[in-house]
Amino acid sequence: MSTTYDGGRQLGRLTIHDDAQQMIDRAREEGIETVWDRLRAQEPQCGYCQLGLSCRNCAMGPCRIDPFGEGPQKGVCGADADVIVARNLGRAIAAGSSSHSDHGRDILEVFSAMAHGETSGYQVTDEAKLRRIAEEIGIATEGRSVNEVAIDLADELMANYGTAKGSLSFVERVPALRREKWAGLDITPRGIDRENVEMMHRTHMGVDNDYVNLLLHGLRTALADGWGGSMIATELSDIMFGTPTPVISEVNLGVLEVDQVNIAMHGHNPLLSDVVVTAAQDPELVELARSYGATGINIVGLCCTGNEMLMRKGVHIAGNHLMQELVLVTGALEAMVVDYQCIMPSVVDVAKCYHTKVISTSDKAKFPGATHVSFDPRRGAEIARDIVRMAVEAYPNRNRDRVRIPVAPVQMMGGFSVEAILGALGGTPQPLVDAIVAGTIRGAVAVVGCNNPKLALDFEHIELTRKLIENDILVLVTGCAAVANGKAGQMMPAAADLAGPGLGAVCKSLGIPPVLHMGSCVDNSRVLQLAAALANAIGVDIDSLPLAGAAPEWYSEKAVAIGAYVVGSGITTVLGVQPPIFGSANVVSLLAGGLDDVVGAKFAVEADPYKAALLIRRHIEAKRQGLGLTFIASEDIRDDEFAAAGATVGS
Amino acid sequence: MKKSSPHGEVILGAITSWGVLAVLAALPDEGLEWRWSMMRTVFVNPERCIGCLQCEVACAVEHSASQDLALAFREAPLPRKRVHVQAGPVPDTAYPNKCRHCDPAPCQRVCPTGAISRDASGDLVLIDAKRCIGCAMCAVVCPFDVLTFHPLAGALTPEVAVAVKCDGCEQRVGRGEVPACVESCKVDALVYGEINELMAAGRLRESGAVLAAMGSTPTVTTNGDPLAGWRSFGAARVSVNDTAQGAWLRRRREAGARADQNGNGEVSQAIDGTTREEGTS
Repeated sequence: MSTTYDGGRQLGRLTIHDDAQQMIDRAREEGIETVWDRLRAQEPQCGYCQLGLSCRNCAMGPCRIDPFGEGPQKGVCGADADVIVARNLGRAIAAGSSSHSDHGRDILEVFSAMAHGETSGYQVTDEAKLRRIAEEIGIATEGRSVNEVAIDLADELMANYGTAKGSLSFVERVPALRREKWAGLDITPRGIDRENVEMMHRTHMGVDNDYVNLLLHGLRTALADGWGGSMIATELSDIMFGTPTPVISEVNLGVLEVDQVNIAMHGHNPLLSDVVVTAAQDPELVELARSYGATGINIVGLCCTGNEMLMRKGVHIAGNHLMQELVLVTGALEAMVVDYQCIMPSVVDVAKCYHTKVISTSDKAKFPGATHVSFDPRRGAEIARDIVRMAVEAYPNRNRDRVRIPVAPVQMMGGFSVEAILGALGGTPQPLVDAIVAGTIRGAVAVVGCNNPKLALDFEHIELTRKLIENDILVLVTGCAAVANGKAGQMMPAAADLAGPGLGAVCKSLGIPPVLHMGSCVDNSRVLQLAAALANAIGVDIDSLPLAGAAPEWYSEKAVAIGAYVVGSGITTVLGVQPPIFGSANVVSLLAGGLDDVVGAKFAVEADPYKAALLIRRHIEAKRQGLGLTFIASEDIRDDEFAAAGATVGS
Repeated sequence: MKKSSPHGEVILGAITSWGVLAVLAALPDEGLEWRWSMMRTVFVNPERCIGCLQCEVACAVEHSASQDLALAFREAPLPRKRVHVQAGPVPDTAYPNKCRHCDPAPCQRVCPTGAISRDASGDLVLIDAKRCIGCAMCAVVCPFDVLTFHPLAGALTPEVAVAVKCDGCEQRVGRGEVPACVESCKVDALVYGEINELMAAGRLRESGAVLAAMGSTPTVTTNGDPLAGWRSFGAARVSVNDTAQGAWLRRRREAGARADQNGNGEVSQAIDGTTREEGTS
């Protein structure tokens, strides 16, 4: 009964990667429970919840709506399927938006403390970007010191979290036509915390009982993330840790070193990982590692903390979301250092089967069974050294007979900030605009989002991306999608050979891959900035551009917020996993249709990556037609060209 | 949630891990000769029902054309549930009610068109929707009030209501799976097995509990946890149910293999389904 998709091709396969499969097999041999075992135990999953038809917002309930019409059609309060589905979706958006935005606030608070000289281990690395952004939002920089400017910028951005002003600072970056649309719908984001709090208020019983009104506020809540909390996280991280530039790194479980102290940095926030990377080079600690027989200290990344480190420092990355348990099964990890978001509670249980220490660092994310080291930016460098020392001290406990590093690593290129992309193009988006106008590049798609054990790990990310680049569509990736494509070898300049003739030629002339790594999941704000830059260069709204978004393997509430702000910004988005909204025909019809009339973009759900690629190609050609560019009519784009390719993928 | 079983006072704090092992060891899962007339049924433990209604949804989807939750409730005519979680007279009680497949079945006796019949295995009472005239005589005589009347795919006239009730998920069972309602039940309020084995398993559980209460076997250490006994009881119950269900599936395969040697095509086909399932798991 459970709605489990197999991607149309991968029934029964858990992953297409050799490193993951070997570790899954090993976990099963050793009786170690993983995410796939737990999913199986949960199936069949709750039908009401899958459809979004259960509400437990109050104590008159919990309530359910019978989708088959025989049972209740209203909750105790009188809410029907539309209201319940919209309330649940609204709260999911608020949770996702809050997660990114609270991450942004943490960066902002450290940024402010740094400007006041209260931190250790942090400094302004990209002064030019600091001054540029300060000027952009109206802060005087002429003749002022770095810290003076940074203090004013921090104060200005802190005000973004409340309700101090009419709208968020970075809304000024949005093309004028889009801002008018938002104003007309009354969905211009006013304050980051405000929109989230208001969503919690509206979804309380007896407040917003109009599903359309609720969903519009859902867009505003998400926009406060994309153009607010996430954008603040990205921009301030760039100022403090450096704006990414193209860099070669390595990916998959092969990045672990058999004779070194291996430390995996897992989670999302670069605040700690940045100072840990520095601490791992401390001669005293390296010497300590040698005294235990290790040849060095090897820092690797996982999930978006990994992406943050890869983008700025080229630090190797061991895997994405569903690799977090499997990296422990290698038996080669001395410590997994976690901050927050997407860190399964189960990592502590898996780590207990090995010598690996799990070290939690955020006071808002504690893990029973882990060692907690409270992160304090005033003592950042010192705490980072303590953590590295704990990992080194664990090295003698490693059981060498249980170490299995399954494969050799694959190279991938990262570091494509908007600044780096524009830099590669000679300083302006014009060459990209020219290529799109000429039709050598048909358009661009952001493939983003998570992993989900309901799908074969990374299959959808990799196949969808390859079909798109074969169709001369430039692909931008963040988060787990970036790691997936890196493992498949689709993110090196040589992958231009996999692209169609137009995109391939452009990539070769610039020496870039056809799949550009734009960073972590908060860095989807980079995608918004690039889209806005393109729209402004052409003089149109974002929804006129031949762009699309895709979240093929999404699982998290953060992905719901991302999808909503991408659509709210005018970019149609295809989801690979059904969101829990299908219990309301009205909500589905609004999100998959009606929204197009008001924000120029909508959602689609397609689990088959080949059908999703076909759908996206047709959408992009339709947008080209709308701009008066060369286009291929929908009926001339043949289905059979989008069938599964024979080529094998994998690490 | 129900707070006690009929033997709750005895069982609380009395079942031991030793008792669980005894139940597993003593279950009569070997040496019994397979026969089709063994009475397989969905057994109900009403005291375990938490009213989640998952069985109802699973049942309706199982009886849909699409077999897909997100599409099933858009089908016309609507697929219908055949298990009914009926709320009890006091809050937080419920009984998942469904056809008991009586033999002789009163509904079958009174059906004027012969739409109701017994299947070849003898376990199931089935309704042929094409022959149903919606007279509701079956509902009049049903001791359990489990019949509902709805337009149904497969009926002679699409818009006319016909009798709908549990068909025992005969296709799933033919593939070696348990009925959809049982699969969806997370708390073992619904279990599937041969009735005498389920009863024997229950008796073993209860004798373990009684003997423990008498002091004949070691009692569980509660460590001050007032729910320890209750949890032990739950664990024992799950083990018993799993074992009874597993015993049925295992014997069924062995019987199938024998029937195959005798050239019984029907069984052979069913067993192929079972084998495929195992191959992919």
